[in-house]
Amino acid sequence: MHYQKYRLIIPFLMPAILLYGVFVVWPYAQAIYISLTSWRGVSGNKPFVGLDNYQRLWLDERFHEALTRNGQLLVVLPLATIAIALTFAALFTQGSQQIRGAGFYRIVFFFPQIIPAVIVGILWSYIYTPNIGLLNGILRTIGLGDISTSWLTDPKTVLWAIAAVAIWSSIGFYMVIFLASMQSIPTSFYEAAILDGATRWTSFKDITFPLIWETIRTSVIYLAIAALDFFILIVVISGGSTTTTARRAEVAAIYLYNQAFDSSRWGYASAIGVVLLILTLFLSLGIMRATRRETYEF
Amino acid sequence: MNHELIHELIQDEASGHYSRRQILQHAAALGLSAPAIATLFAGTIPVQALAQDSDNPLGVDPAAPLDVVIFKGGFGDEYAIYVNEKMYNTLYPDAQITYAGIQRLGEQLQPRFVAGTPPDVIDNSGAGNLDNAALVAEGQLADLADLLAAPSYDTEGKTFAETLVPGSQESGIFDGTQYLLNWALTAFGIWYSSSFMEAKGYEYPQTWDEMLALCEEIKGSGVAPWVTTGVHPQYVRQFVFDQMLWKHDPEAIRKIENLEADAWKAPAVAEVLEALYQLADRGYLLEGWEGLDHIQSQNEWLQGKTVFIPVGTWLENEMKESIPPDFNMVIAPTPSLPGDKIPFQGIFAGGGEPFIVPAQGKNVQGGKEWLRLLFSKEGGRFFAESTKSLSTVISSGEGLDLGSAFASTQEAIAAAGENTYVTRYQDWYTEFGDEVKEQLAELLQKRISIEEFQDTVQEAADFLKDDPSIPKYTAG
Repeated sequence: MHYQKYRLIIPFLMPAILLYGVFVVWPYAQAIYISLTSWRGVSGNKPFVGLDNYQRLWLDERFHEALTRNGQLLVVLPLATIAIALTFAALFTQGSQQIRGAGFYRIVFFFPQIIPAVIVGILWSYIYTPNIGLLNGILRTIGLGDISTSWLTDPKTVLWAIAAVAIWSSIGFYMVIFLASMQSIPTSFYEAAILDGATRWTSFKDITFPLIWETIRTSVIYLAIAALDFFILIVVISGGSTTTTARRAEVAAIYLYNQAFDSSRWGYASAIGVVLLILTLFLSLGIMRATRRETYEF
Repeated sequence: MNHELIHELIQDEASGHYSRRQILQHAAALGLSAPAIATLFAGTIPVQALAQDSDNPLGVDPAAPLDVVIFKGGFGDEYAIYVNEKMYNTLYPDAQITYAGIQRLGEQLQPRFVAGTPPDVIDNSGAGNLDNAALVAEGQLADLADLLAAPSYDTEGKTFAETLVPGSQESGIFDGTQYLLNWALTAFGIWYSSSFMEAKGYEYPQTWDEMLALCEEIKGSGVAPWVTTGVHPQYVRQFVFDQMLWKHDPEAIRKIENLEADAWKAPAVAEVLEALYQLADRGYLLEGWEGLDHIQSQNEWLQGKTVFIPVGTWLENEMKESIPPDFNMVIAPTPSLPGDKIPFQGIFAGGGEPFIVPAQGKNVQGGKEWLRLLFSKEGGRFFAESTKSLSTVISSGEGLDLGSAFASTQEAIAAAGENTYVTRYQDWYTEFGDEVKEQLAELLQKRISIEEFQDTVQEAADFLKDDPSIPKYTAG
């Protein structure tokens, strides 16, 4: 007889479901409806146009370019962030194979994560400024002045300059997650491995990596979603959504913002949003399926 | 009906010095009708009684509250507060004014427009402002025709429209109806420091060849001749390219603005692009210009690292904290190309800082009246004194000495006479405008050729032309 249990569960569940319904599900539904209209956003007039916006999107080259950039970020962001974060986490733990000063590094490398994204963006936009910026200044001082360029308006470098900032600011977070996960591995495993002649690398490859696979998998999904969602850093570093930088680093979310706020095409922007939603859903599902593995009990 | 006497009567009544009987007798003597007399004592003055009154030509309800929203940016908002307190409330002391001086108006006012409760008058300027073209397309703006025809507030014998600088309100007209009123008279051109030029013995060149020669000399002395903001290439697009093209062949600009076929492939366009490209090709642009935003590029200019910069009249106000002493900034039109159809003095000048009256506001006539008060000699003068900028009211800056930027702008506009213009296609078609400025940045960064520029932009123009979802306008 489980009925009594429900009398307790339901009143606790209701507020959460209500909040979720009103503030998450209902706006989603509204956005999907708006994507079927040609709303200009400055009046209540929302003429229904059916799947027109989606047809336009299908043929829209600018959208395809934006999605390509998202795709590039999708490959690089998770790879780079996780690789670096894993390296740090492994160096700062792994039982007696920790490097010196691990405690200090663990704390300091987390700092970038604490700084709000907007501040990070503003700081780095100054670092990247061509003439008086820190980066070019350093390059010139050490004699590499030739590669100094206008990082944020050169189409070859702008997206990667901003991606680098994203990686820099999120390594700390993933490092901490991996650290926590690694702490649960008994040190006896490592000790036994050392006795068998394992190096730091082999310990990592054969012990650490498989045992924290679940955490890595979750991180991959987070970062994949972040790659599709990539927005705030670009807008802040670009100094606005209509600048040259924003245009040359345009990803799907920036295009969405531009269509809504700069061109007043809210219906079209909503359609972009819905497409992003579908892509994100499929991507997450795909990654979860592809990386499914038997978990090790230890 | 003698309006002055009625006005006196109303004031007598309000002052409370006279007994009711005295007022009644006075009113009857003037031949006022019974309802009108009744309302005299009710304290509210009906529109009909004053409809013909020259003091209230728009028929404003004096007790109705007014909602004013101003963009508080480079010009501040003292001039608006002045109108609220010293002008509107003096005329209509019973009107409660709700005032807000904010930034990023789009985000804050959009929900009000969608809900149908917008303010009564808005200074729709600054980054993140409302999209005027969209507002017009959705019928959200009031037609200002009655305001234009109303008598001016403080210029005897002229209508409101006649007191405004001719041509300054052109960009507020959509399909023949005036929806926006431009407040700031802005000139766009090439700025330089006259004290620097005098010290070096340079003279501002009137032809492009002279400009290139001067640039060579300047470059030889170790200073970069030109700078512009690479992050906001609309500056160089509109203030240099558009202006030079307009002076070279106004027909070519007209065709471009009207999205005519092959407008961008015209030989006049190629000639201007060739000339402009020399700045990039010969290295006359400050190194690193591509990554500078407007403030940074203007700072480099103020610090003497470069000589010429294309910008508009807001420059002095925007940079006032950083101007070194003895800088003496001065504006000049773009130099002439051989075969120009418009003389050297022709300059881009028009109105900026657009004001709108939402059609769904609760006090539309009040909003228009507020504008009638702002766009007066009194309002204009206060604006000039507090911001060192010119308003579009004729002679509002007369006799004021507010610095070299102000003076040179006035001179330049006076010298241009009838030859003023401003291109509008970037306001009508924002995405297309963005594409043009993008491509021009690419061209000046030597990443594409002039032909590629023309091809790409023409393609974008054709695509825009065939897009039925964007309303099209024509330049006269």
